[in-house]
Amino acid sequence: MPQQRFPKVEVLSIAPHAISFILSETDTSMANALRRIMIAEVPTIAIDLVEYAENSSVLNDEYIAHRLGLIPIRYTPEGSMKGGDCHQAFVPHRECLCYDRCARCSVEFELDVNFDKVNQTRPDQERDLPLTVTSRDLMSNNILVAPAHFLSEEEQDESHDEGISIVKLGPGQHLKLKAIARMGISKEHSKWCPVAVATYRFWPIITINEEACNMLTLEQKQELVEACPDRILALDEITNNLVAVENAYEMATFTEDLKMAQEAMKKRPEDEDFVSVVHSTDRFVFSVESTGAMDAEEILLSALRVLKDRLNYLAAEVEKLKD
Amino acid sequence: MNAPERTAAFLLDDGEEKVEYYADTKVSNAGTFTFNKEDHTVGNLLRMQLLRDPQVKFAGYMHPHPLVHKIHLKIQTNTSQVAPAETLSAAIEDLSNETDHLITQVTDAIDKWKKENVSGMIGM
Ligand SMILES: [Zn+2]
Repeated sequence: MPQQRFPKVEVLSIAPHAISFILSETDTSMANALRRIMIAEVPTIAIDLVEYAENSSVLNDEYIAHRLGLIPIRYTPEGSMKGGDCHQAFVPHRECLCYDRCARCSVEFELDVNFDKVNQTRPDQERDLPLTVTSRDLMSNNILVAPAHFLSEEEQDESHDEGISIVKLGPGQHLKLKAIARMGISKEHSKWCPVAVATYRFWPIITINEEACNMLTLEQKQELVEACPDRILALDEITNNLVAVENAYEMATFTEDLKMAQEAMKKRPEDEDFVSVVHSTDRFVFSVESTGAMDAEEILLSALRVLKDRLNYLAAEVEKLKD
Repeated sequence: MNAPERTAAFLLDDGEEKVEYYADTKVSNAGTFTFNKEDHTVGNLLRMQLLRDPQVKFAGYMHPHPLVHKIHLKIQTNTSQVAPAETLSAAIEDLSNETDHLITQVTDAIDKWKKENVSGMIGM
């Protein structure tokens, strides 16, 4: 007997690096699975192995390798401008048939910055100042894969550097390396995590008991409005009735003061609440922000694909068990 | 030196099966499924879906320890006519269909938002 649900999705806003949407007509187990997959199981590309030819910088090899690993790497499918799902384009390196590595399972980045060489070409006012090696100095061998230097143009305009800084070089210092990036998931290491934020909150159900509210004076209603640190209630300009504000769902987090305020206004403690705020069990407001490795909407779609593949795999494994 | 392998949380060990089943010796129509290399993501999803099935009398899961990468899912059905594995298969199928439905819902919702908000923008 099928018990299938048909959830609904409503997008609130989309930017390349962030998406906010409402998931409804399902329960927390689905909302939480989606959140957990976005954080830990959506595959991305990150630098996993670094071979040094020369490092005379102040940071040691391991330290630089760690910093390189944390740089978000973006795969942009051909003909697209979005940070896409690398799942279709790459093979996990442990599953690849090649001996060591190949273009199907890895991307190579070359970095070669020599302070003395660069210094000659710098403008006079910058000459001899420390030189910042950034993600812009990483040269990819795959035109579809590059470091995500900035999330947006605003962020780029505010930055002091050309990209994500890796290390600063002084006179005589030289950094030369080859970095190998691979596809992975953040269950292995959080450098593969595509999201900076992936959260959901419960939709608040704000019920205003009009009959009870009619017993209140204007001052008392105003007091209830002011009891909420974020103003989720307001007075209707014409009728002076209490109403919930339009974007109350963004703000209704703390409502204990509202409870206290109305307890004090009740004639008898057993009287009905004037305003009740409870959380919905089947409606969730999601907020997802990307690290830059993928567009936020692609993270969501990729998470659903991961879930779908997992369930199909488990279905086949359970079927095997029955024989 | 004794750090666990980086892959220990998601890659099956050599010879390890993904799903194992142990029939309950004391309770009728009951058994425990062990899902290797799975966590709360799948555990809670399956449990909640099973609990919505009227043929399921009991469904519960546990994750024995954060460093033990498996979950135990116990299912008891109402009658001997229905095996725990049958209800589990049905639950997984329902969830898979729900996910399919979600993929179309998300795709449609994104298209709808873009039509309303970024008409004429290139590259979005
Ligand atoms: Zn390969």
